[in-house]
Amino acid sequence: MSEKNYLKRIFQVYYKEKRSFLPKINSFENREFGFIPWNQQIMIRHYNFDNIRNLNNYLIRDGPRHVYSSATLYINPYKTPMDNKGYLGCDFIIDIDVDHFDTPCKDDHDLWYCKDCGKEGKGMPPKKCPTCSKSKFKRVSWICDHCLNIAKNEIIKLIKNFLIPDFGYKETDFIIAFSGHRGYHLKVEDDRMRQLSSESRREIVDYLTGHNISFEILGLRKFSQNIYGFLKENIGWPQKILLKLEDILKNSSPIELENLLIKFGLNKNIRKSFMNSKDDFLETISKSKRNLWIIPNFSLETWKTFLSEVVKEIGAEIDQPVSIDVHRLIRYPGSLHGKTGFKVQELTFQELETYNPLNQSDGVLDPIVFKSEN
Amino acid sequence: MSIRHELVQHYPWLPSLEKLYPDIASKAPILFITDIFSSNPIEIQERVLTFFKASFSNLEQIDDYKIDEKNIHVYIIIKILLYLLNDKSISNRIANLYSKVTYSELIKEDDAYLYDICKDLNLDILYYQDPIKYGTIITKDQQENLYSNFRIYYTDYLKLAGNLRDEFRQLINNPLSEGYVFIQKRSISRLLQEFVREKFFLKAEYDKSSVEALKENFLKIKEFGELYERILANWELKKEDFEYSFEIKATDGSDISTNFPPCIKEILSKIQEGQNLIHNERLFIVWVLIAVNYQVDTIINLFSSMPDFNRERTAYQVNYAKKKKYIPYKCSTLKSFDLCMAKKYKDEICLKGYFSIKQNEQKNITHPLSYINIMQYRAHKKNKVSKNQHIRNNE
Repeated sequence: MSEKNYLKRIFQVYYKEKRSFLPKINSFENREFGFIPWNQQIMIRHYNFDNIRNLNNYLIRDGPRHVYSSATLYINPYKTPMDNKGYLGCDFIIDIDVDHFDTPCKDDHDLWYCKDCGKEGKGMPPKKCPTCSKSKFKRVSWICDHCLNIAKNEIIKLIKNFLIPDFGYKETDFIIAFSGHRGYHLKVEDDRMRQLSSESRREIVDYLTGHNISFEILGLRKFSQNIYGFLKENIGWPQKILLKLEDILKNSSPIELENLLIKFGLNKNIRKSFMNSKDDFLETISKSKRNLWIIPNFSLETWKTFLSEVVKEIGAEIDQPVSIDVHRLIRYPGSLHGKTGFKVQELTFQELETYNPLNQSDGVLDPIVFKSEN
Repeated sequence: MSIRHELVQHYPWLPSLEKLYPDIASKAPILFITDIFSSNPIEIQERVLTFFKASFSNLEQIDDYKIDEKNIHVYIIIKILLYLLNDKSISNRIANLYSKVTYSELIKEDDAYLYDICKDLNLDILYYQDPIKYGTIITKDQQENLYSNFRIYYTDYLKLAGNLRDEFRQLINNPLSEGYVFIQKRSISRLLQEFVREKFFLKAEYDKSSVEALKENFLKIKEFGELYERILANWELKKEDFEYSFEIKATDGSDISTNFPPCIKEILSKIQEGQNLIHNERLFIVWVLIAVNYQVDTIINLFSSMPDFNRERTAYQVNYAKKKKYIPYKCSTLKSFDLCMAKKYKDEICLKGYFSIKQNEQKNITHPLSYINIMQYRAHKKNKVSKNQHIRNNE
């Protein structure tokens, strides 16, 4: 028996044994389903099931490598082409994947090699191959507690810093899932959000990531050689920026601050100016009615560069096309991830806070369903 | 919630028209026109004609705009006429004028009535009798306290602001808290203006044969037919001013507009249809056309089909841009402004790049002007090959 056939059988057995545990997602009948089989790397799309039993029977019969359902609701999910499906709306999806984070642990568990010359390396691939200068790489990646924790914290940050205070959602409005591999999905099934176009979703994504922010519109001004910044009482991003700056300045050691400024790409003179003036600057931004920002060598452009980097620290690192696309398929909860064999596990916000997919004590939430017996 | 009759007369596009004036709203269009034009329709005719004439003359307001029950009739007749005229340029001109008139009425409106209007449109909006503060802007000794009487739910805000892609309207640049955007009366009025513009705006023309069949019946009503003919006659006189060809010759005599990337084509087609452009679109198209050596007069004439065209102002701005030699936005900037149309047009070069013979590798397009260069190079090579072919065939 080939390796792939063996794995397919194991998946079939899993779906047979766990048939009563497969959750039924909301508006199940209006979702399109897609599968990637074991024998070929193509997505079989445009499936639709009347009930969860039929989906289960399909999974037991075919034991697919990956199982997806649409974030979109359709009148006729099985019809092709897409225009004939009858679009009803689309859930808002956020995908956080550790692939996007340059974590130190990647040096331990990720490899890359250049497709052109075969040069190998550890961690994230460089922009260009150091040997042949080409930019096409093959990656071999894995996961660890550390990087999964970063992805988890990013979801928590999104919820606590953006979706609850700014967008007015409640903890119970989110459906969160461990993807079974390198990250988490967050879904909002709000009727009003479902009706938003791709363009409107892009605006939400910009808000969550900090892209396309305009410091001038938010109040940053230059007036006769002086720079006037934001006030903490200004609702929205100005407030976020000032709170973050306050946090950085109050809680970072001089070395940490210096490293951060290096990361921001500021030159030595500018860094020195900032370090010398940081206490006065902290006092200014902490007071409610003071916004004259005085740091020698800081021009309006320097402030914009500096603030852009602060915005990056605040914004969430999300897979933007997933949130913008209104025809996206995402992994079905309770299904198995074909690369890891882990289960896609749905979680509440409370469960997420203490969740550790690689060492989960609660058996129901444990995504590792295949374990060797000691 | 019940809304005042006067508000519906003032703003006949409100959904409550059906509830408060069911006899008008539910009547078949042909019966409605028959009734209106059977008894002394001169005033109505003139009021409708005033709208069309003003829109053909690029006016932004209507003198002596009346708010009465006849205003509802005027609105419905305009909608019927636009359907029968089935002309995008006319529809878009009326859309712009009518929406601007609406804006100037809304901005004068009492806050409580503005709230009623929003609620009638089923918008999730919060109204505070005492304005609430959401920030302060201080520049030197000047302090501007930011207050608002309104907050609008963010999904409604995004839907209404969707077509207005100005930077200051983007969600990220606005105060958002607990799901609601703090919004000032001026901005609500502007968003509603856009909502009204969309009601008239014709994206694609209707099927000609079905319109013709309907038109025949409508034009049998004598006074209505006269009105229709007067509008057409006015349009015939004016439309020449708006119809300029986009075919512009480059130095070698070829038409380089065929080599434009989708981002430029999209803006040109908007201009041709008489759609309004946002600020960044205007800047970009002027800078591009100057960069590819279009004559200043030609650029000004292109803009003349736009609803808010002012020749003097446009000439000043185009000449200024030429003097400054601005470089058009690169692709990444266009993407951030949401002006990149590569996906919409499924353009291969934009999406997949091109093969550079010089560098022996696949390269991405990073600037619209590079796209034009590549297309011109390809067209030039194609011409050369076909010329050689022609010579060989003749030998």
